[in-house]
Amino acid sequence: MDSLEIGLWVTGGMLVMVLLGMRVAFAAALSGLIGLIWIFWAKKGMDPDQFIWALTVAVKTAGQVPHGKVASQALSLIPTFILIGYLAYYAGLTRALFEACKRWIAWVPGGLAVSTVFATAGFAAVSGASVATAAVFARVAIPEMLKIGYDKRFAAGVVAAGGTLASLIPPSAILVIYAIIVEQDVGKLLLAGFIPGIFSAVIYGFLIIGLALTIENFGPPVRGFTWRERFASLPPALPIVAVVVIIVFFVYNPFGGDAWGTPTEGGAVGAFVVFVMALVHGMRWNEFKDAIIETARLSAMIFTIIWGVLIYVRFLGFADLPHAFADWITSLHYSPMTILICILLAYAVLGMFMDAIGMLLLTLPVVYPAVMALNGGEAVSAADATFGMSGPMCAIWFGILVVKMAEFCLITPPIGLNCFVVAGVRDDLSVQDVFRGVTPFFVADAVTIALLVAFPQIVLWLPSMA
Amino acid sequence: AEASATEWNVSVWGKRRAFTENIEKLAELVAAKSNGDFTMNVSYGGLSKNTENLDGISIGAFEMAQFCAGYHADKNRAITVLELPFLGVNTLAEEVAVSNAVYAHPAVTEEMAQWNAKMLMTSPMPQYNLVGTGEPRDTLAKFDGMRVRATGGIGQAFEAVGAVPTSVTSSEAYQAMQSGVVDTVAFAQHAHLSFGTINEADWWTANLNPGTVNCPVVVNIDAYNDLSEENRKILDESVPEAIDFYLQNYGELLKKWDSVLAEKNVQTVTISDEEIAAFKEKAGGPVQQQWIAEMSAQGLPAQELFDLVQTTLAEARK
Amino acid sequence: MAGSSAVLTDDSLLSRMDQGLLRLEKFFALIAGFAVFGLMVLAVVSVTGRNLFNEPLPGYVDWIQQLMPLIAFMGISYVQRDGGHIRMDILVAQLRGRPLWVFEFVTTAMVLGLMVLLVWGSWAHFDRSFDFSKPMWSRDSTIDIGLPIWPAKLLAPVAFSVLCLRTVIQLVGYGRAILSGTDSPIAVPLIQSAAEQAAAEAEHIEGRD
Ligand code: NA
Ligand code: NA
Repeated sequence: MDSLEIGLWVTGGMLVMVLLGMRVAFAAALSGLIGLIWIFWAKKGMDPDQFIWALTVAVKTAGQVPHGKVASQALSLIPTFILIGYLAYYAGLTRALFEACKRWIAWVPGGLAVSTVFATAGFAAVSGASVATAAVFARVAIPEMLKIGYDKRFAAGVVAAGGTLASLIPPSAILVIYAIIVEQDVGKLLLAGFIPGIFSAVIYGFLIIGLALTIENFGPPVRGFTWRERFASLPPALPIVAVVVIIVFFVYNPFGGDAWGTPTEGGAVGAFVVFVMALVHGMRWNEFKDAIIETARLSAMIFTIIWGVLIYVRFLGFADLPHAFADWITSLHYSPMTILICILLAYAVLGMFMDAIGMLLLTLPVVYPAVMALNGGEAVSAADATFGMSGPMCAIWFGILVVKMAEFCLITPPIGLNCFVVAGVRDDLSVQDVFRGVTPFFVADAVTIALLVAFPQIVLWLPSMA
Repeated sequence: AEASATEWNVSVWGKRRAFTENIEKLAELVAAKSNGDFTMNVSYGGLSKNTENLDGISIGAFEMAQFCAGYHADKNRAITVLELPFLGVNTLAEEVAVSNAVYAHPAVTEEMAQWNAKMLMTSPMPQYNLVGTGEPRDTLAKFDGMRVRATGGIGQAFEAVGAVPTSVTSSEAYQAMQSGVVDTVAFAQHAHLSFGTINEADWWTANLNPGTVNCPVVVNIDAYNDLSEENRKILDESVPEAIDFYLQNYGELLKKWDSVLAEKNVQTVTISDEEIAAFKEKAGGPVQQQWIAEMSAQGLPAQELFDLVQTTLAEARK
Repeated sequence: MAGSSAVLTDDSLLSRMDQGLLRLEKFFALIAGFAVFGLMVLAVVSVTGRNLFNEPLPGYVDWIQQLMPLIAFMGISYVQRDGGHIRMDILVAQLRGRPLWVFEFVTTAMVLGLMVLLVWGSWAHFDRSFDFSKPMWSRDSTIDIGLPIWPAKLLAPVAFSVLCLRTVIQLVGYGRAILSGTDSPIAVPLIQSAAEQAAAEAEHIEGRD
């Protein structure tokens, strides 16, 4: 049996384990380990006397991966991004943001819902995780919308959808993970998320305004805030601006000078600003301890998947599977754009059943080289490329598309996690209610994704400046 | 014949570049000479992390690998002699000569044997020079407080004159420079090209020549011993050819270097002889002496290794 | 989906072992949390040093690389304790009673097998970087300031060993549940529906806005 066949068998076995409900990290690591044993043993002709040798080499090879891979400067962004999010709760940023958005933009039709979308987008700038954002705003925004007569299902849908913005707008743990797997510039990927994230928010906003204009008694605008009240709402939300400025300027200086440092430093300094805010806002030892333990918990969860999957990836390196898959994809007789769209649709289906981080980690090692090959290779120039963009730019574009797909899956049945979270916060809402309320946003997301595919400049403009 | 065919996995990193051409050539030569009986599958990063290639060789996960001494001095103390600053090596041919001499020393053989590794050949690199942003740093005084990406002995040399070595991996060097985390990067020419640091540079020091990095190619001892007599002979005999090809290929690249500088509008900075002499005096001798003292204390024949470099160099220049 | 869920306790030996190990796991998680905080402090020192005093922090990257294994490994068993490692439970969630416990027993046993092998493999990785006869016992060092790497490498087998203990306790818990057929076994994470889970998560962040 050649190594390619071994690669396919092991990959199939891993998918079965994952489907059956084994923890993703351990299913991937175990498959990788078994695959390594198999490959080394096959190299010795499956000689029974050589099994112990193969086992030893495989175990030691796999044993290098956890420390070797996590001891990385780039990965240190993940825990700092998570920490920012937890500290932000204690810094009182959620309510401050919602209040500011309400006073400034709730005068439009469907105003409070539009405010909620932009408040979630703002909170996305300090939160790396979508589910947390949805949970927080379910408590802050839904009661206010219900008070002025919104349909409760729709109010819940707004929050569930708004929560998904957190993974596009930096800081975003999932974009860092993508960057690490595909070995592209983390900074540029983070920058690339900004405009599509805001773009998604704007499309959500237009959708809500459209609904408010066509449906009677939908959601009245909220007017009557004085300019003084408006400006008074800004200072408590200012740390958000500070964090955004820090993260952007540490990656790329829009005024043309040197950037201030690396993304790693930007994330950590951003966390420090929010930390100081939280102290000022009254965070003490017990809250702080909670925040760092929760950060440690989520980090351990993510890192276990990372090294687990990387053991599987090490095995793939020996089996040379990604290379073979890329050859197969490029030999298909469909247009590259058709293939790309099929890949995105496959992610939509997979994402219905799987967690976003697990899904990306499991699939990208094989899918990403294939997409790059479709475009003409890692080093292709824009002029020679199938999709009209250079290799590194294609990597960024595909990354944003995939993350947007993964976020889309957070609001689709049957396991749209954001919807479950919102329903969980509100006793008066069932999950079915939230799914019904979020349905219009499927349309908005489909439109957004289609536009990002059709006009890659939306994604690539900002990173191409840096 | 199919069953007896030998396929070696070779672990390198990055992209295919001038630095890996000795390995690519070697793979081509052994495959041709053995009529496909002995082939090498060169993997760029798929089999190991670049700082763990010696570990992989020691485990037996792959048969051949390239690594750089400065990535992990404690794994390969003996050959760090080749990374000492201001050894006086001027050409790639001299670098090959001193590397071969040191690799053949019993202290090196023994240290590599602890990793179940055997030295096969070197990947000679020219003297590192700085590219930098902003005002050219053409005097020792201007090195003070400079953030420089430099590893091993070169890093120590800059440290001796007040600079701060700041390591980022070679693939992050460009971004580190762009973001001001470092203001200068010390690389060989091919690396300034392949990692893009030349694109960000305002100037290049043509004659600082503080030293270089030593990156051997090793084979797993068991795999080497398991080769058929014939294949082992083919491998050994192909090494000089592969090195010759590497030198020729690198020579072409160096010829193009000046036109690259002109095209990218990078200023060539020549440092005065007095400044270089002062640099050598502060960083050359003291760092070398410190290395000899430390390594001797650890039981290595440090003075002998250092002298070996010097005598080989004199020999090579005859 | 992530499945943090309740673990039932009583005063049996198994439950006391479960809670005893939990104390160790919490302590490890707290260390990991401080390491994250350390990353933040390190960056602030590095940035201010570089930009305000032209004194960059020597070995900044080396120190990050030393902190990361603390963050990545020390919480692994704490997460396993209440079933927090991500999985797809769309099928498992359909099971009840004995079939469920048999299923959990088998997958947990696979995790134990894997982790025992990885303790071996990661110990070997540590062992290659460790040498009693060398200064600082080091046979592998960081690139800039030459910090010995063996302490960071040692964290993996240590944390993985704690995880092995945790899976042994869970195996006993599932084993007892298979025998008794109970719906509320001790010392193992109980599956919650996605909705219960979301409610628990939401409760967790309650009062933090
Ligand atoms: Na975010
Ligand atoms: Na879903």
